[in-house]
Amino acid sequence: MLVDFRPHARLRNRKTPVTVTDSLGPVMDALSESATDLSRVRVVCDWVQYKQNFRDVVEVRPILSSTPDAPLPEGVRDDDLEVAVDVRRAAGVDLRATTRAALETRETPDVVLEDWGPTRESCIWGFNALYWTALEQWEKATGQAYEQALPGGESDARNHDAARGVIRELFTVWDGLADRGALPPELYVVEIGVGNGAQARVFLDELRELDVEHGRGYYRRLHYLMCDYSPHVLDLARETVAEHAEHAEHVSSFVMDACKPRSVLAFLQFRVFLIYISNVYDNLPTDEVAQLGGRTYLVESRAFLPAADAAEIAASVNARPDQLGGLVHALLRLGPTLLAEARPDHVSSPEDAVEFWRRTWSAVRLAERYAGLAGLDTYELSPTVNGEALRPLLESGADVRMHVSNGAVASFTETIGLLHPFGKLVCHDLFARDVGAYRTGFRGPGKYDGSVVNWVNGPLLAHIGRRRGFDVSYAPFAHRTGTNIVTMTAQVRD
Amino acid sequence: MMPTSLLPTTVVGSWPVPEWLERLKTDWFRSRMSRTQLDGVHDCAVTAAIKDQELTGLDIVTDGELRRDNDVDYLLARIPGIAIPQPAKDFYYDYYDARVRTSPVAPVPPDDAGLGLDADLAFTRARTDRPVKFSLTGPFSLAHRVSDTVHDDPAELVRAIARVLGGVAGALRDAGADVLQIDEPFLAGYPEQVGLAVEAINIVTRDVGTTGRDVTWALHVCYGNRYARPLWEGHYDFLFPAVLDAHVDQLVLEFARKGDEDLPVIARSGWDRALGLGVIDVKSHTVETPELVAARIHRALDLVPAERLVINPDCGLRHLPTAVATAKLRAMVEGTARVREKLASSESPPTRTRRRRNGRSGPATTDTPLDTLPDAPTTETSAETSTDDRTTASLAPAPGASL
Repeated sequence: MLVDFRPHARLRNRKTPVTVTDSLGPVMDALSESATDLSRVRVVCDWVQYKQNFRDVVEVRPILSSTPDAPLPEGVRDDDLEVAVDVRRAAGVDLRATTRAALETRETPDVVLEDWGPTRESCIWGFNALYWTALEQWEKATGQAYEQALPGGESDARNHDAARGVIRELFTVWDGLADRGALPPELYVVEIGVGNGAQARVFLDELRELDVEHGRGYYRRLHYLMCDYSPHVLDLARETVAEHAEHAEHVSSFVMDACKPRSVLAFLQFRVFLIYISNVYDNLPTDEVAQLGGRTYLVESRAFLPAADAAEIAASVNARPDQLGGLVHALLRLGPTLLAEARPDHVSSPEDAVEFWRRTWSAVRLAERYAGLAGLDTYELSPTVNGEALRPLLESGADVRMHVSNGAVASFTETIGLLHPFGKLVCHDLFARDVGAYRTGFRGPGKYDGSVVNWVNGPLLAHIGRRRGFDVSYAPFAHRTGTNIVTMTAQVRD
Repeated sequence: MMPTSLLPTTVVGSWPVPEWLERLKTDWFRSRMSRTQLDGVHDCAVTAAIKDQELTGLDIVTDGELRRDNDVDYLLARIPGIAIPQPAKDFYYDYYDARVRTSPVAPVPPDDAGLGLDADLAFTRARTDRPVKFSLTGPFSLAHRVSDTVHDDPAELVRAIARVLGGVAGALRDAGADVLQIDEPFLAGYPEQVGLAVEAINIVTRDVGTTGRDVTWALHVCYGNRYARPLWEGHYDFLFPAVLDAHVDQLVLEFARKGDEDLPVIARSGWDRALGLGVIDVKSHTVETPELVAARIHRALDLVPAERLVINPDCGLRHLPTAVATAKLRAMVEGTARVREKLASSESPPTRTRRRRNGRSGPATTDTPLDTLPDAPTTETSAETSTDDRTTASLAPAPGASL
């Protein structure tokens, strides 16, 4: 048996005291009492810091031993299952009984919403997408704007000092190019994930003001492109920027999937001087991979509604639990307004549909299992990056489970392809800055309001950027203390 | 050697590096594989690349530069006087941090003048009966990747490296190179120094053409292809008039990605030697159609006569997947063939002249059969004949555009 107690720092934390005896003792007892082959089991303990998340206190995750088209290496562990414990919530739970139940469960009474598959394909991302496309209805139901749901209550994107620093660096680059006669006539800046437009407004205000001092007419040549997945958010951003009439002629806005920026911005290849991304990557679909006992696995997941929650939700919409799956997928496909039109027998108004959405979202859980990867190169990390990019992060052979940040990788690789040779990408987000961070702390997934959040695999993006000729660096967000936000900067190397 | 035709097709130099080869190369730089094993891998990869080029129908082939870790270090690390304090790399394609230990001088004994590149060339020469091009990064670009505290004037390092490369070039000629190409990937970033770069190029080529068998000299200037990205932006007008004094037969330039707005610059500059016309965008995975290639060639023919054109991609293919690269090259070969057919159906019998690589002051000569250049002697003519009318072009290329 192998035990991995990841939140070991909590053992010495007076604010949130945890003991190995309390967290693990009942679990071990339950395992000992079961028919489980104890030589082929691993127990992992996490501190799941998100109060709204996709996990139960105790979960059992099968480890699938068969790997098609690949021999099983000699001398590696070949476990059957993993028992996962959320230490944060363990104190109030009968862990022994819960573990026993989890080990004994064969036929689940829960309502399964999908088949097993890579987590990035789970319907939780459908909920996530729905949140952004129907944000206005969600906000109306909750009574709070999405920015208020962010830690600290606002985005980190509106800092004047930060904007001035970036603009001065841009001026230096533009001056150098202008002196050589190599400055293009149009100066492009792209913002992905525009929030309420405050960042754009601050940037444009500051650039206009600094340009007057600088005297080289850069504001006149500026094109600021605001891109966001949410039309509602984009509308808000446009209103904010339009408060200054002069900015309007310099700003364009695009509804865009951050995972596919080239679908809208391909015409800007090698032409963008600054790409600004804030709090986007942590909200994009991701898989997880795990290196366990010398073998590499993909974490497969399956969304479900626990039986008790499903019964309550079904009753609230005049449905049987076995009808919930169809209703959920109709909601994700149609949105709340059309769902009310299409299924009036279950939800009589858009407001009812939003309520159904919120209750379902609150209840949805992810079951997990590990499926062996036959070869890293056979795993598609993004349309242009395969799993070989993970090799440097896994090659130590030490056990680790980490995010693959597929959406962030796709977005990042496409976005840096837009950068001018002297351009720069600046990104504020939740980044795990080294692989070790995954060994000591839980990095998602969690629920933020109606969206999904995962920390972004910083070393992976750095590695991928490096293999594309970029220096990628990380630093704590410089303009606010007490935040987990990290600033990533990517610039052409050599 | 097989004959080439009008509008000969070739690559600029590098061939796609598959992921498995990247892994093995990196393994060597991280001491996980022996040099002997890596050499064996390279032998196989080069042999396959040559075969692939032949199968795509290219007229002139290269070794794909598959033995090289990047466009600089493979050569730079061999130059006497250059020190590499940390020879291990995290990724094979990274650049070394190189510095000048002593001013570079040609190796002694002279048998070593090729710095081992002549053995690479001989390996390639033994595996194909097609004309072979061999590229070497030029002294200007090499010097810009070295920290130099030895020379008071940075130009001295450029010249010193050029003298060493002159010896390398001689060895490559003797090993059977048909085309020697100097790559200057950094030149576009320092347009004000083009005079120095040309001076250094002429040092490299100075003695090679005067003794032994002749070679065709090409100069490749692009806007960078490191990690499939441009390093610079601008226009080729910075090359002129300085490059007219370069003792080379071909200018190999990129036009597919940048568009052909620089073609008139070349046409009106007085450049009267061959032009390697970039018709394939190596920074895009989109495969060009033969029709597009043909259209690009036809647009060039409005300004440059056919016998002065060589057809090639914009730059090396290193960063493209092999399947994409070969598809692009097949389109390039087919598009070129269509243009040849069209020209053949409208051509009058060939008689034309050409200029030699020393440019404006060089003697004009008549064409020679394709399969005998460059070894066969050329016949001097007493009068210069215009080469600017493509309707009078023959199906035989000019010297810089042929072998």
